[in-house]
Amino acid sequence: MRRWLPWPRTLAARLSLIFLTSLLLAQGLSFALQTYERYNSARSLMLSNFEHDIDTSVAILDRLPAAERATWLSRLERSNYRYQLGTGQAGTPMGADDEPMSVKSIKATVGGRYPVAFETIEDSPPHYQAHLRLSDGEPLTIDVRPSIMPLSPWLPLLLAAQLALLVAGTWLAVRTAIRPLTRLARAAESLDPNQPAAHLEERGPTEVAHAAAAFNAMQQRIAAYVKERVQLLAAISHDLQTPITRMKLRVEFMDDSVEKDKLWSDLTEIQHLVKEGVAFARSTEPSREPAIRLQLNAFLESLVFDYLDTGKAVELSAPHELVITSRPQALRRLLTNLIDNALKFAGEAQVQVQQHPGGRLAIQVLDRGPGVPEEALSDVVKPFYRLESSRNRDTGGTGLGLAIASQLAGSLGGQLRLSNRAGGGLCAEVELPGAAGAA
Amino acid sequence: MDAKVDHVLIVDDDREIRELVGNYLKKNGLRTTLAADGRQMRAFLDTAQVDLIVLDIMMPGDDGLVLCRELRAGKHRATPVLMLTARDDETDRIIGLEMGADDYLVKPFAARELLARINAVLRRTRMLPPNLVVSEQARLLGFGDWRLDTTARHLLDAQGTVVALSGAEYRMLRVFLDHPQRVLSREQLLNLTQGREADLFDRSIDLLVSRLRQRLLDDARQPAYIKTVRNEGYVFSFPVQLLENPS
Repeated sequence: MRRWLPWPRTLAARLSLIFLTSLLLAQGLSFALQTYERYNSARSLMLSNFEHDIDTSVAILDRLPAAERATWLSRLERSNYRYQLGTGQAGTPMGADDEPMSVKSIKATVGGRYPVAFETIEDSPPHYQAHLRLSDGEPLTIDVRPSIMPLSPWLPLLLAAQLALLVAGTWLAVRTAIRPLTRLARAAESLDPNQPAAHLEERGPTEVAHAAAAFNAMQQRIAAYVKERVQLLAAISHDLQTPITRMKLRVEFMDDSVEKDKLWSDLTEIQHLVKEGVAFARSTEPSREPAIRLQLNAFLESLVFDYLDTGKAVELSAPHELVITSRPQALRRLLTNLIDNALKFAGEAQVQVQQHPGGRLAIQVLDRGPGVPEEALSDVVKPFYRLESSRNRDTGGTGLGLAIASQLAGSLGGQLRLSNRAGGGLCAEVELPGAAGAA
Repeated sequence: MDAKVDHVLIVDDDREIRELVGNYLKKNGLRTTLAADGRQMRAFLDTAQVDLIVLDIMMPGDDGLVLCRELRAGKHRATPVLMLTARDDETDRIIGLEMGADDYLVKPFAARELLARINAVLRRTRMLPPNLVVSEQARLLGFGDWRLDTTARHLLDAQGTVVALSGAEYRMLRVFLDHPQRVLSREQLLNLTQGREADLFDRSIDLLVSRLRQRLLDDARQPAYIKTVRNEGYVFSFPVQLLENPS
């Protein structure tokens, strides 16, 4: 199929195009029809007047004594034709093909009684003359200057007003149709089952209200599913805790052996998995922890000192006197996960604070470990995703650490970004909403 | 040396855990009594005294939090309580400490860790009983421009901005605030500040004091809060008061 013009992409443009084209065509057609009708009736009226007038005038001139004729000429003159005594100007004889309507009228009325010759005068504007001889043999010339019917001066204005009305009407209709759709799309886009549902207003036309109600119901259903899943995870892990506790206690009564150590480390692994599972489930729930004003430097130092006190290599460089408003438990858990990750793969970690213009600030956890292959950067924050290299290691972990960190960053109004550093290693950056400034 | 054997009461609704813990502690030289719920606990404590109570939070009937609050209000208010919580969650820990527990342990735990914690709590309360009893109603300690929130374990400055503390910093500050105007030797400080993982094995007390001074914006040459006593140790020389909860 050939397309002369590209079909517009947006619904608004398409609807506008359809509305405007069809309305303009309809309007144009009715306007043309009306004009044509009016033109025809006006012309036939005018021609019959013309015929009558010419007939009468020629008859009057014929009856008048030759001496009085000249005084009557001005009284018989009309706006587009007048009478001259004499043979008139020289012109070219008129062909039969291009006779105007008025020529036919003259032929039909006067032509019966007098022989009439028509000549076109190439003046500007061009006009024609009809030559005839009255019954006493005196020549008479009818000079006809056809003129176009004058157009009313308000007609273009009316047309412009109609066009404006069309455009305004189209715009209103398209807006009415598009607006609820845009609203729905925006609501769907911002839909996050982990956040309290943003209720869509159920108002407007019936179809729109119905769609909004359906959307709200869907949102609630999704939230309920997510909640159910989280509760299931929490319930399973909670019920696992008692048997794991019993097993661990029993193992401690066993005599020292390789088997005991293996059993112990297996149990520790299960315990870790359960713990991370609960933490992940909880990180997707809306938090009840209130946001408080906190000194960022003291907060990060307390975190880093805890690592240093247990002999881990964690370095910190942060500006002093920076106060942020955040939820410290969530932030602590998030940074702990990132630092633990760095320690696991690189044996050391560096914590830095970057202040971006516009008030946003970023906490970076840097290491010089193996990093993450570029193509897997966006996958490692998915729950239970593990790199092959990590899966084969004893330090593989649960595959939930970064997923929890990413969830928590989102719940703090920020974002977790991973990138490979120049010179090797991983940079995990948590961007947080604006700082409150200096203390 | 005290020849008396420490008596520990274990309250947990899971029979097996109760017995396994009891056996382990017995094997390690402690006297134990087991209780399955609050009713049994009350019945026993009506007639006897114990040195420490291990209390599970998640129990049918009266849970550990309710029982802990009850203990803190009655004649056993001075008996140290160690909470067992099933959730590795700040909320549980904070609530437990708010109710007046002395320490907490997350399930599943290792029996030897429980033993270590029991001994640490007993050592702390024996060595230097605190001058102030932090309670659910009054859990803020005020000194100078500062307030220490003993459940969230952070400092609040005059404007109410949170100044976080590391685990060791909190424990040391708490030791100082529990014993104001009293000279504490480095050895005492080390013992009382020692955390669950014996994390101060290598760290000098002096470094921790200097970190704490920095945190409190205390000038090391003319300290207002923590003063150095030559050849003896340190003293917290500022009056400390218990504050009602702001909420």
